[in-house]
Amino acid sequence: MSAPVHAPRPDEAVTRDLLAFLQRRTRTQVAADVDLFGSGLVSSMFALELVVHLETAFGVEVCGPDLRLDNFRTVEAMTALVSRLRGGGDG
Amino acid sequence: MAETTLPAQPVSPVRPVSPVRPVTAAAAMLTDVVGDRADGWDRDGRLPLDLVRGLARDGLLCPEVAAEYGGPGLSAVEAGELTARAGSLCSSLRSLMTSQGMAAWTVRRFGSRAQRAEHLPRLVSGTLAAVAFSEPDAGSDLSAMSTRIEVAGGTATVTGSKKWITGAAYADVLLVFGRYGDGAAAMLVPATAAGVTIDPVPDALGCRAAGHAHVRLDGVRAPADHVLAGTGLPLDWLVTSALTHGRLSVAWGCVGILRGCLGVASRHARTRQQFGKPLAQHQLVGAHLAELLVSEQAATRLCEHASRCWDAGTPELVAAAVAAKHLAAGAAVRGAASAVQILGSAGAVDGHLVARAYRDAKLMEIIEGSNEICRLLLAEHAMAVWS
Repeated sequence: MSAPVHAPRPDEAVTRDLLAFLQRRTRTQVAADVDLFGSGLVSSMFALELVVHLETAFGVEVCGPDLRLDNFRTVEAMTALVSRLRGGGDG
Repeated sequence: MAETTLPAQPVSPVRPVSPVRPVTAAAAMLTDVVGDRADGWDRDGRLPLDLVRGLARDGLLCPEVAAEYGGPGLSAVEAGELTARAGSLCSSLRSLMTSQGMAAWTVRRFGSRAQRAEHLPRLVSGTLAAVAFSEPDAGSDLSAMSTRIEVAGGTATVTGSKKWITGAAYADVLLVFGRYGDGAAAMLVPATAAGVTIDPVPDALGCRAAGHAHVRLDGVRAPADHVLAGTGLPLDWLVTSALTHGRLSVAWGCVGILRGCLGVASRHARTRQQFGKPLAQHQLVGAHLAELLVSEQAATRLCEHASRCWDAGTPELVAAAVAAKHLAAGAAVRGAASAVQILGSAGAVDGHLVARAYRDAKLMEIIEGSNEICRLLLAEHAMAVWS
């Protein structure tokens, strides 16, 4: 009765979704550990779109002290943020 | 118990009389409290403080604040309708809604749980807020902001100079944006704190009763928890969040300007006779009315779209708010000019609705992202999405 072998871990699904969102919106393929700000891919408008996307796609609220640059610097960091806000991380 | 013997009501396919929607009641209340006084407020350059405070106490200056904080909890679409009503009556009053709304939204987004619980109830129970972005050397280029916020021990200190701050002349609290460490922060500063100087802007071109003022902050101190918890983001991120709310509000305000002009111009064109027939029957006048009508509809549709994106949490809301603001501001400027043209000398008097609209609309092409800044943002978006 265990989960199917192919089911991705929730974190992997988040990472995949974010990479797809970034690619759709910036037309650039990025790796999960790329510094998005160093790369110049994220404008102020897109940064806000990212926050709204995280909230809507994963049913979390990104507010107050969670709005730190380090939480958005890479797809890995955003994945960890979502995981923590869902209560599944090491928060 | 005669009632119990009545046959059950058949289920009607038509909706029975429904209770008045809160937004409808609020809009009617705004119309009622403003009455015919907006012309006088414009000439005086001043709104009655008790009226403004009364609306703030009812939560109507930031009606999206949720019921859990004591607010009306309107959706973005409903708040937009209310903002448009205010804009059709008095753009100065609507400007205060824009400021209070941005302040509440920024507290909601960047405040900690405790800060939200403390400050949001105040913003819907009478406290008036102004939002301070622009500076003498930082207008369109807000990244040039030099105001600095520092926290040491339990005290936050802010020093800087802010320019043309809407509502500052009425405000109890100023939401000040500034540099903080390597990033940015927003701090709630009581307007009465030592070191705060508020100088009203005399003789503004438009929104003359909106309480625009220059604000100096000389080492103003407040408890450290007056700095909203979302600190350390790049300045333009922090500002974009607040401005997106403001742009949507301004856009709906412009819809209101267009509606006000459409009403006055249409009534004038029907009743005013020249060359033996109503103005409306002169085709060149009719053309103005047609364009006004289309402008109002186009602006409304873009605003509705952006507000629905906001309510649904669609990322598209960010660009949609810029597009709505850009289209609506330009439409309001052209529409107001047409309305003055139709009214002729009847509208060419300070204080008259179309004269106010003409002056107020022009400011809408400047604030919350000038036409030029909006175009730059939209071009960037076009390149990202369509190239």
